[in-house]
Amino acid sequence: MSATGSVDRRTFLTLTGAAAAVLSTAGCGRVRKFLRGAPSPSEQVALRGSMTDVFSICDNCVNKCGVIGRLAGGRLVKLDPNPHFPKSRSMLCAKGQAGVQTLYDPDRLKHPLIRVGERGGGRWRKASWEEALDVTAAGLRKIRDQYGPQGVLFSSSESFQERFFRTFTQAFGSPNSVRHPSMCLSSGNIGFFVTYGTVPEFDIEHSEYVIASGANRFESFITPDTVDLAANVREGRTTLVYLDPRFTATAAKADQWLPIRPGTDLAFYLALIHVIVTERLYDRAFVAAYTHGFDELATHVEPFTPEWAATETEIPAERIRAIARDFAAHAPRAVIYRGRRSSWYTNDTEMRQTMAIANALVGNWDMKGGVVPNEQIGLGAPEPPEYPFPDVPRIDAIAEHHPLANVDDGAYVELRDAVIADTPYPVRGWMIYKQNPMHILPDRRRTEAMFRKMDFVAVIDIVPSDSAWFADVILPESTYLERTDPLEEFNSPYPFVGLRQQVVAPLFNTRPNLDIMQGLASRLGLSAFFDFDIDTYIAAQLAPLGETKSNLAKNGVWSNRSGRTYGATRNAEYRFRTPSGKIELTSERLRRNGYDALPQYTPPTKAPAGSLRLLPGKQAYFTHAANQNNAWLHELCPENRLWMNRASAASRHIADGDLVIVRSPIGEVRITVWVTERIRPDCVHLPHGFGQSSPALRLAAGAGASDQDLIESHWDRISGNAALHDTFVTVEKA
Amino acid sequence: MNRTHRLGMVIDPQRCIHCAACVVACKAENAVPQGHSRNRLEEHEYGAYPSVRVVMAPSQCMQCDDAPCVRVCPTGASYRGANGVVLINADDCIGCRYCIEACPYGARYFDEESGTVDKCTFCSQRVEQGLEPACVATCPTRTRVFGDLDDPSNTVARLVASGRVEVRLPDAGTKPKVYYLRGDV
Repeated sequence: MSATGSVDRRTFLTLTGAAAAVLSTAGCGRVRKFLRGAPSPSEQVALRGSMTDVFSICDNCVNKCGVIGRLAGGRLVKLDPNPHFPKSRSMLCAKGQAGVQTLYDPDRLKHPLIRVGERGGGRWRKASWEEALDVTAAGLRKIRDQYGPQGVLFSSSESFQERFFRTFTQAFGSPNSVRHPSMCLSSGNIGFFVTYGTVPEFDIEHSEYVIASGANRFESFITPDTVDLAANVREGRTTLVYLDPRFTATAAKADQWLPIRPGTDLAFYLALIHVIVTERLYDRAFVAAYTHGFDELATHVEPFTPEWAATETEIPAERIRAIARDFAAHAPRAVIYRGRRSSWYTNDTEMRQTMAIANALVGNWDMKGGVVPNEQIGLGAPEPPEYPFPDVPRIDAIAEHHPLANVDDGAYVELRDAVIADTPYPVRGWMIYKQNPMHILPDRRRTEAMFRKMDFVAVIDIVPSDSAWFADVILPESTYLERTDPLEEFNSPYPFVGLRQQVVAPLFNTRPNLDIMQGLASRLGLSAFFDFDIDTYIAAQLAPLGETKSNLAKNGVWSNRSGRTYGATRNAEYRFRTPSGKIELTSERLRRNGYDALPQYTPPTKAPAGSLRLLPGKQAYFTHAANQNNAWLHELCPENRLWMNRASAASRHIADGDLVIVRSPIGEVRITVWVTERIRPDCVHLPHGFGQSSPALRLAAGAGASDQDLIESHWDRISGNAALHDTFVTVEKA
Repeated sequence: MNRTHRLGMVIDPQRCIHCAACVVACKAENAVPQGHSRNRLEEHEYGAYPSVRVVMAPSQCMQCDDAPCVRVCPTGASYRGANGVVLINADDCIGCRYCIEACPYGARYFDEESGTVDKCTFCSQRVEQGLEPACVATCPTRTRVFGDLDDPSNTVARLVASGRVEVRLPDAGTKPKVYYLRGDV
């Protein structure tokens, strides 16, 4: 073990005989009594007799793994992984397994609800679908008449039925839509896009050397990359270098854990590039043939020596040199792995751009084990009529503020503030599909102010979330296990098509989103945009493939490939979708849009005296704030705890299990502390998704604390992605 | 199954990431009541920041060949069934809980609703249908391998024969059929 804090995994030997405490699930609280939703043990045993299997797709996170629903007597008794599904293969995580409880959750939305009394007062009455859709359509029509279609904001998060919400948004004619990327991955997308002209994948399965910055695949999110990385690291096929101020499960498995000073990853990658350039470790043939702007890059990185980076990152210069050499030696079977959520700092796009550049320099492109372009199969779709073209700009002026961001995704923090300020025009209606703004946005009080600004709010969801609590009408969607969705095209590990088909008929008076959108469209004269049902929609999708849905239903999957292919872009004729037509080591697209073509380093904000940096993050037991009320997941971690380093706790006379008050410039929370060695002394960590307030979520309400009561509203300059890691807090004993 | 097997499991702590997929899969498969689990996640932490090490592994009924729970059961409710799997016949269980005390692995629990003791059965209901136990089938990192210890071609048997495995609490003399892969090999 070195003095730098990096740990060599392979020096660790055996479990037996070692003196160690056996811990329960780290950093979690006490379980609440819950109602049994799934079949009881005796029922379960009785139901085992005759089982039928239905192949479908999970929806308890964005990953979408293949599942087999095992049914007995019309009840879903178990979900198993679908081994035919190329993406997830034979795995299903805790959330996937807990899908049975998603279906049978006694707290889920069971019928349309209309608010009685004041907004947020929590009084509702049951309504028929006819009435709920009438009220919603009337609410939207009134705002359209008074403020124009731009007076309604449409928010949604990803779902196979989100496309129908998007269709409705466009048919309605509002330019104001907002999705999750500006709370998540938009800076990462742009950083890689400006370099490669596409947002690529990572061939982790065949990679021999992986550098990951906070991409916490063993703790925050279980994906196929988790599967491949875990196997490869265990079998010694891959070296994993992991940078994170926290010692996560990924750190525990990594060959090297580097507890980097938060906010300095960009310095690390600039120095990595400096070493690769000055020691001529780059792939000269590849750089000459496929890239643009090498000389400018080489000049740019001259001052960024490993010694300079060592003072910024607290990673020794020699370690940075060694990693740069190892990384280049393993190229092209090496990756600087992007991870998913990149809503960290105000210079996040530049940090991701630096990762993209370093990958390209050593030729990790479109080869086995490297960074690889996406491939597509190409599904069809029904042809909609022409959408009306909104004649007013978006309220967040994204085209002006963030010209490289995806316009329809929006820039959420700025959008919220524009809505609250009525600039440049009023937005008074809010349709929300499968999104929980109260938890995804920093600063919940501001988000609540945005809700209170509205004349009309309708929420489509499966659970009474904190955002649904502020709605005027709640339209309950059927869960993913109760509906058939449009086909989805997947591109990893190779292109294939997956079918989510109904596993059980809806248990309650709920509807798929398509039916909800059609119900609203017919009331607003927009039916022409929905001239199909789910079966004809799927048939149109399948038309180019000459396939039928019943064929897909057999194992839930269709593909005309059997593996990833490489090298299509590695030929002299290929034009990358960048201004130069090449991979841009110096970005002309950034330059054209008024930015620096090369990543500039800005040091992270300094902590005020006595303050600690708040790091949010996810546990893979939950998807954001979506399933803390799922009984089986609740049991894994009933409430979050504040991770605090032992030394910083001791200096504040705080002991493990103490209740503390955490204060930031925008708010405070009370939370129990988990004193641990697994975090830098200058940071604290609060897992995301807790501190829910909707009393209708009987397990989740009031459990733990919400990071969004503390996090300030900052954003990345280029992408508009939220900067969620840029808030300092004080912690004292309550 | 048409012939007798000696079913066993090998767990590789170096692969385990504590994702708890096995815990929930077991809960779903066996409708394990609230507050109980047939799978536990154990975590061992060593060192101090920044030189921390954490080892993770699941724990469960070790399916002992010389099972103390079977020995102490006054009614014969706990017994070794087909394929060497230790099972509980709920009809014969009087809820005395001697077995819970006797188990050195803390693998058994008392189900307040049924008034009987319960624990891992290697998912015998699944194994009969040719499926792997729920925890094995769902594991994202392939931490667990399951199979017939008496079949030399089986991965489990090969791993055990390789000498790369150890058992928990070997001094207890219970002859577990759940093995752990050592980290140094």
